[in-house]
Amino acid sequence: MSTFSALTDNRPDWSRIALYATLLAMIAFYLSPLESGLMTSIKTQAGFQQTSPFVPPLPGQFAIEPWIEAFGRLQSGLVNSVLFAIPATILSATIGSITAYGLTNTKWRGQALVLMVLIAGIFIPYQSVLVPLSRFWTIVDLGSLLAVIPPLADRSELIALTITHTAYGIPICTLLFRAHYKSIDSSMIEAARLDGATIATIYYRIILPLSIPMFAVALIYQFTNIWNDLLFAIVLISDNSNDVVTMSLQKLTGSMVSQYNIQMAGAFITALPTLLVYIVFGEQFAEGVAGGGT
Amino acid sequence: MAELQLDHITKTFHDDDEGEIVAVDDVSIDIADGEFLILVGPSGCGKSTTLRMVAGLESITEGEIRLGEAVINDKRPQERDTAMVFQSYALYPHMTVRENMSFGLEESTDLSDEAIDARVTESTRMMGIEDLLDRKPAELSGGQQQRVALGRAIVREPEAFLMDEPLANLDAKLRSQMRTELQRIQEDLGVTTIYVTHDQTEAMTMGDRIAILNDGILQQVGTPLECYHEPENLFVAGFIGEPSMNFFEMRLEGDRLVDDGFEYALTEAHRESIGTTDRVVLGIRPEDIEVGVDGSGSHHYEVGIDVIEPRGDENNVHVTFEPAAADPETFVATIGGMRQATPGETITVGFPPEAIHLFDAATERTLHNRSLETIEDVEVVTQQ
Repeated sequence: MSTFSALTDNRPDWSRIALYATLLAMIAFYLSPLESGLMTSIKTQAGFQQTSPFVPPLPGQFAIEPWIEAFGRLQSGLVNSVLFAIPATILSATIGSITAYGLTNTKWRGQALVLMVLIAGIFIPYQSVLVPLSRFWTIVDLGSLLAVIPPLADRSELIALTITHTAYGIPICTLLFRAHYKSIDSSMIEAARLDGATIATIYYRIILPLSIPMFAVALIYQFTNIWNDLLFAIVLISDNSNDVVTMSLQKLTGSMVSQYNIQMAGAFITALPTLLVYIVFGEQFAEGVAGGGT
Repeated sequence: MAELQLDHITKTFHDDDEGEIVAVDDVSIDIADGEFLILVGPSGCGKSTTLRMVAGLESITEGEIRLGEAVINDKRPQERDTAMVFQSYALYPHMTVRENMSFGLEESTDLSDEAIDARVTESTRMMGIEDLLDRKPAELSGGQQQRVALGRAIVREPEAFLMDEPLANLDAKLRSQMRTELQRIQEDLGVTTIYVTHDQTEAMTMGDRIAILNDGILQQVGTPLECYHEPENLFVAGFIGEPSMNFFEMRLEGDRLVDDGFEYALTEAHRESIGTTDRVVLGIRPEDIEVGVDGSGSHHYEVGIDVIEPRGDENNVHVTFEPAAADPETFVATIGGMRQATPGETITVGFPPEAIHLFDAATERTLHNRSLETIEDVEVVTQQ
């Protein structure tokens, strides 16, 4: 209908123009920090000082060096982050999924209590557990426990960080999966039981394949959270060789001169993996959020 | 294949608000090897709970369930060797038809892949779904999903089939087609079957016997025609048959039943069966009421026509003893589809003495059932 009126009516449609103008303004507003960051990261230090941040580099001011420099300084942080964030993400999602399965499709006493504790767990702020957390990992001295396996002992702080993030992620993952599992037709589970499947087989052959979209949601959510975390890392990691990427990024600020181009390049490099995860799991993510699942 | 016995089965649920709820109350049914038993009743009567107890999906509060010789009370569902067909079909959405059907065999038997494949192929041929083997449930129509669900049960070759309203989600035409097909398959396979439904057409047409449940209590077990013609109580009489039997609650006065609207003269046999009961419910099926006959006997009445429901093959005529009333109490009589009647007219109806049922109004037990002498010949014709 509206296309018809647009074709026959030559007068400008002011409300439509206003709508697009507003949308364009909002796009510019939201993208300007990104654009400024990107432009800053490909300018020389002089270029940054002489031009406005969102102006593209003038001839002679273009530089790729900030990216190379930033990557060089973030390299070990990136590796460390990958080492702890991927296991923590997968572990929290998997354990959350199994917990949710146990809370929805099986019957036992005390389920409500467990669920209550898990929900309470979601609302515990990071800051409130910092002291107990560092005390805990001092008492449980992973470094000396793993002393027999030197490569692991060197990385014991990262292992502690993995376990901490896994534990912190389980409640929210459980809740995500629980909502999904409650929507699964219970007679299908009953059919599987009559078909001779055990609880474990039902999980592995039926629940798990049906959870893939939800796994995408949990993985993206957890990975972004864990990758971007700085607080737990600062508290738990003291050895410089174990620095995760957020810590390395923070150290790019420098002490005397702020090299904004390097910092910006570093910020982009640090953010890249979370972007990649969105792209890789995007389709399943949409499916999981839309609540399809089947 | 085996005999299935429900021996004084009781199921009690505990509810925090209402205390104990008895869902199934002391139900005993013996189902012969290869028999097709229909478990029928209104919603919430405990029929599904009974079925789920047989399947092992609900625990049994009291009583014993035996399959073959063995008591299966404490066996887990996967060890009971029964296959269930659900109303929602409960197909595994991420698996193809082939995977759906082979799942049970993979989980419950040691058969080789080839043997499983052979059995799946055979079952799909039986159900006419061999072309659909590599499709997923979402790509199938409701009727096809239904066939896969049945095929999944058949392929297991279980001791007993348990079906929980399997046809309820199909449209009317497909339902009547599947009804016949299911009967044929059950007969071919000879597997003991319990079929739960609330649809009394399915109950009448499909099974060897019907078990009627109400409020968790077993009302009657019998062949469809026994339940239809010789109901054991008021509930069964009213539940089986569409349109339902007409009931008139009346007082006994001498050898007559008296109500505000009319009187009914009792025969010797009626009078004997009533004994000392003083409040009696007279029941008569709509098709037994003679409509528009010339009669002035003690069993004929002038009634007004209130509403007519044409059904093509026959018409349901709602008639009343009190045509002048604003909201009259009506009862139903059926007449042939070609016969005309007009609302507002007055006609004569007859209640033949051999066709009436009598129930005790207080206990709701049957005092007297209709005579079957006049119906014997007809029975063969109406039986399908």
